[in-house]
Amino acid sequence: MDKKVLPVIEFKNVGLSFDNNTILKNVSFEIEAGQFYTLLGPSGSGKSTILNLISGQLSADAGEILFDGKVINNIPAESRRVNTVFQNYALFPNMTVFDNVAFGPKLKKLPKDTIKAKVREMLALVKLEAFENRAIQELSGGQKQRVAIARALANEPDVLLLDEPLSALDYKLRKQMQSELRAIQKRLGITFIFVTHDQEEALAMSDWIFIMNDGKIQQNGTPVDIYDEPINHFVADFIGESNIVNGVMKQDYLVNFVGKDFENLDAGMRPNEAVEVVLRPEDLDLVPIEQGKLVVTIADQSFRGDFYEITAIDDDGNEWKVQATNPSSVGARVGLDFGPEDIHVMRFNESEDDFDARIESYEGE
Amino acid sequence: MQKKLLGNSYLLLVMILLYIPIIFLVVYSFNGGTIMSGWGGFSFVHYQELFADTRLLKILLDTFILAISSATIAAFIGTVGALFLDGIQNKKTLNTFLSFNNVLLVSPDVTIGVSFLILFTILGFSLGFVSVLVSHIAFSIPIVLLMVLPRLREMDNTLVMAARDLGAKRGTILSQIVIPEIWPSIMAGFLLALTYSLDDFAVTFFVTGNGFSTLSVEIYSRARQGVSLEINALSALMFAVSLLLVFTYYLYTTYADKKARLTK
Repeated sequence: MDKKVLPVIEFKNVGLSFDNNTILKNVSFEIEAGQFYTLLGPSGSGKSTILNLISGQLSADAGEILFDGKVINNIPAESRRVNTVFQNYALFPNMTVFDNVAFGPKLKKLPKDTIKAKVREMLALVKLEAFENRAIQELSGGQKQRVAIARALANEPDVLLLDEPLSALDYKLRKQMQSELRAIQKRLGITFIFVTHDQEEALAMSDWIFIMNDGKIQQNGTPVDIYDEPINHFVADFIGESNIVNGVMKQDYLVNFVGKDFENLDAGMRPNEAVEVVLRPEDLDLVPIEQGKLVVTIADQSFRGDFYEITAIDDDGNEWKVQATNPSSVGARVGLDFGPEDIHVMRFNESEDDFDARIESYEGE
Repeated sequence: MQKKLLGNSYLLLVMILLYIPIIFLVVYSFNGGTIMSGWGGFSFVHYQELFADTRLLKILLDTFILAISSATIAAFIGTVGALFLDGIQNKKTLNTFLSFNNVLLVSPDVTIGVSFLILFTILGFSLGFVSVLVSHIAFSIPIVLLMVLPRLREMDNTLVMAARDLGAKRGTILSQIVIPEIWPSIMAGFLLALTYSLDDFAVTFFVTGNGFSTLSVEIYSRARQGVSLEINALSALMFAVSLLLVFTYYLYTTYADKKARLTK
């Protein structure tokens, strides 16, 4: 990320705990204006907590939260220039669609005409022009979601927070809302911080992803970086499908796993360091035995529409997930092939800074 | 089938037994004669007597003024109390408060009446409309609280979070989000308090002085000289009013339920 631009939000060593339960541990990060960020992690990882700290619904026990360079730890939620789209929509049931969207602008005591124009603009943005006078109870789940987005945007926030907003929608609607949200973000040019536990959603929508687990940021980066170069077992396992086996890094660009040496593209580790090796199922190919790097037996196969998901077992008993375009037959002995670029090596307990520095050291050569 | 028939007839019998005295009372309010024994033909004469009895009509009016004012004030205080209790996070403290509230609900009216009489006497407070009003408010507050608090607890807290998020301060959140959400329960509490006040006898009997009386107390004192059929006519009218109130309450709660269910 280009560090010259002043971040719109910055966390400095922020921590939070409830009744001796640590929710966030010493979290630091920066958010730049105008980007689509995603906080991705399993439930209980602390991602919604970060959102509530930004919006001011929670206050931090330790550390500083900066907004536009100023500390906002003690600024109440109602005075912050951020707005939230809630998971359950949280629309006011006693008001119409119009009054829900107008709630923020009305509090600012704007002239009536301005409010009306603003509400209409927002409803047009989410394609609900004709729904002004509807009661909330008459809307479908997808429409409620749109009203919630319009209501939050009507306050013209610098940053929009979205707390798992699509998780209650069905698959098709979710896909559609994903691209619409992305389009809205691009059009308005404001910062979106999106919370989700759905890795596919995160990869599809984000400019930048923070992966959370155990109250800590595990890794941050672009979707491609994170997918191709996960920092540890958790990230590799959480993002996409993966085969993870233990190995030993014999020397730079040479790794040993399942009893064989393989050339690879990783470096910067101690000789003979114990590591974990990641191979993505879509990078593995099933070939005739003599052409493969490993010999495996097909144990299971299921049709997934655009590919076959195949589970194969090598002679050491390791399980390999493979995505293949052509079907195989269960029980067959075949070869498993992959190239040096398909092997990704992870060290145990490597910090993000060390990871970045190491990669820079040999990729910069 | 037979079992069902048996069950239904049993229910019918119980209902008839419960309602026979009231039906009897209403029928005899139209009696042309002067006593409950012997039917002197259909007549509105006791209703005419009733409407000519200005003392009784004034008491009727007083009773309603008392009920409406006590229920209104109790609805307000009870709602504030419920809002306060809802803010208590500590379960133990909350349960202590709720237990005190429930003790008031189940304690006999006589106890409440006597204790208020003692309190007013000690304070040197003169007995009359105000003393009755104060005691009616006191026994109505727990009723309102019991109606409003569950609704508050059920309320989706993200609504308050959303309002804050959009820039609303506490006062606005209360008036525009919370009160509209719990309004049906406040109304239900008000109506219930109204009926409790209307037909209260025991508490009122103790704390009312000369010059102020409510219907139940007045009817009681008149009945000691033998019940005049004028009282039948009045009771019939009051029964009609009660029916109306119960019906309104029913309509209101089913409407509120339906609305609440639609919201979810």
